[in-house]
Amino acid sequence: MNAAAITGPLTLPSASAPAERRGIERDGVRLLVTNRARSTHTHAHFYDFAEFLREGDLLVVNDSATLPAALRARRSDGTELNLHVATAIDRRLWIAEPRGAATPGEVLQLPGSGRATVLAPLDPQAPRLWFTLFDLPAAMYAYLMEHGAPIRYGYVTEVFPLSDYQTIFAREPGSAEMPSAARPFTPGVLRTLRRHGVGIATITLHCGVSSFEAPERPTIERYSVPPETAELVNRVRRAGGRVVAAGTTVLRALESSVHDGISVASQGWTDLIIDERYRLQTADALLTGFHHSAATHQWILRAFADTTALEGAYREAAAAGYYQHEFGDVHLIV
Amino acid sequence: MNTSSSAVRVAVITGGSQGLGKALAREFLLAGITTIVDARDDVRLDAAVHELRPYGNLIAIPGDVADKRHAHELVNAAAALGRLDILVNNASTLGEVPLPTIDQLTEQTFQRLFQVNVFAPIHLIQHSLRIMRRTPGNPVIVNITSDAASQAYATWGGYGASKAALEHVSRVLAEELHGTAIRVLVADPGDMDTQMHRDAIPDADPAELRDPANSARALHQAIQHVTEPYQRIRVPGMVSA
Repeated sequence: MNAAAITGPLTLPSASAPAERRGIERDGVRLLVTNRARSTHTHAHFYDFAEFLREGDLLVVNDSATLPAALRARRSDGTELNLHVATAIDRRLWIAEPRGAATPGEVLQLPGSGRATVLAPLDPQAPRLWFTLFDLPAAMYAYLMEHGAPIRYGYVTEVFPLSDYQTIFAREPGSAEMPSAARPFTPGVLRTLRRHGVGIATITLHCGVSSFEAPERPTIERYSVPPETAELVNRVRRAGGRVVAAGTTVLRALESSVHDGISVASQGWTDLIIDERYRLQTADALLTGFHHSAATHQWILRAFADTTALEGAYREAAAAGYYQHEFGDVHLIV
Repeated sequence: MNTSSSAVRVAVITGGSQGLGKALAREFLLAGITTIVDARDDVRLDAAVHELRPYGNLIAIPGDVADKRHAHELVNAAAALGRLDILVNNASTLGEVPLPTIDQLTEQTFQRLFQVNVFAPIHLIQHSLRIMRRTPGNPVIVNITSDAASQAYATWGGYGASKAALEHVSRVLAEELHGTAIRVLVADPGDMDTQMHRDAIPDADPAELRDPANSARALHQAIQHVTEPYQRIRVPGMVSA
């Protein structure tokens, strides 16, 4: 996989803070609209999102809420590191990412007399994500709410409250990182969408931790596609409307829940990999953020648009001063 | 299907802290199989993990197989890796020692025997089948039995009945799995030099007992070469019916 080739020198500057802390509204971020059929790129603002959808289209959103999934951990030698809690496997067993080297069997002390034992890497060839056994004084969600903080990477220089990491659709807690493509949605945008006759349906997919550092395969994530959503997707497509996935998480959930081209209700874990060889069966358009080069994110985009179109979009975005990452600008590919 | 199930095989062994379970875990790890083990006693499990970890990718989760939630934890760890190639229901209990005659067998002991030796394997199998059905190759369910399941030895009634039940469940399971790639192997490891054997027969001569490491090697061989939907073997090697 040569994902880095897409952007290279065109890596966008990272948004270091939420829009509303940069003097604009949530829906004031930029919106680049790439039309694949016409090979055009249009610049807009997110508050005009509805202008690009039509009556009879269906917007599918992820209702997963973000957890404060970063914990401060202490090794037996007293040094500290962050432990990012990514994906629940079972009540004590989670996939987690120690932000530093880990040794199998290593015990990390956590706040409030918690303990994490790093068991084994998910992928021994790339030991970044680890099966980790937690001994906590409370259930994980309650524990994180008390002791955790939102996961933050180097380009976000300040600590922002958890509410900055929730989208307007957030209902079910479980994501280690915000499903950020839907962050710019506001009540105003939703009202306009309804006025335009655009339907809205939800799925749940709990985002694990992103792989910014290495071009790794996406790991498993928990998801659920409810029957109402599956039915709406089928009905809209039959009627000639477009299904717009608000985020690659939505795309992954929808595509994990399809049988013979028909969207079905299902839930569980998905290990589906969407890349340029993948033939999409459920979605016609994708709303997504900008994320740099190596991120597996780029693989998914290639299922939607060819390299030329994506390179063109990134060039346009770079020239117009777009920002990338969870607090950055967004991209609609139709 | 364009999914990411790993190329590395995955095994679950219950009762992995000592005896056959630990020896088998080492065989699997040496073969490059990611191995998930459990044990009730976490101190002993820690010691086993310390010993086994150098051999490969080991995931050790303390817990009692009779606890359904723990059983699910084991299989979920495999599901997280996208496949389950081998499930070894090895954890067993003697119920109480010295072994009681039928006359002396308490309801409590009888229940514990069936919980650990029959119900727990059934739960694990039930939970494993979904992931095994989508595992490439021929996934194998291995149920560890004993000659006490078929022979009438005084004081072995409760234990023997539980193993006989497990064997019968295994045969029926194999029937029900007809047409799938999943194989069922029932293995009687014979008399090994293990803590369980010492508990059951304290005065046995260790020189006459098999080293569990040898049994584990033979069992691993057998697992690799199961071709029938159902097989019952005596370890090492000999196929009986």
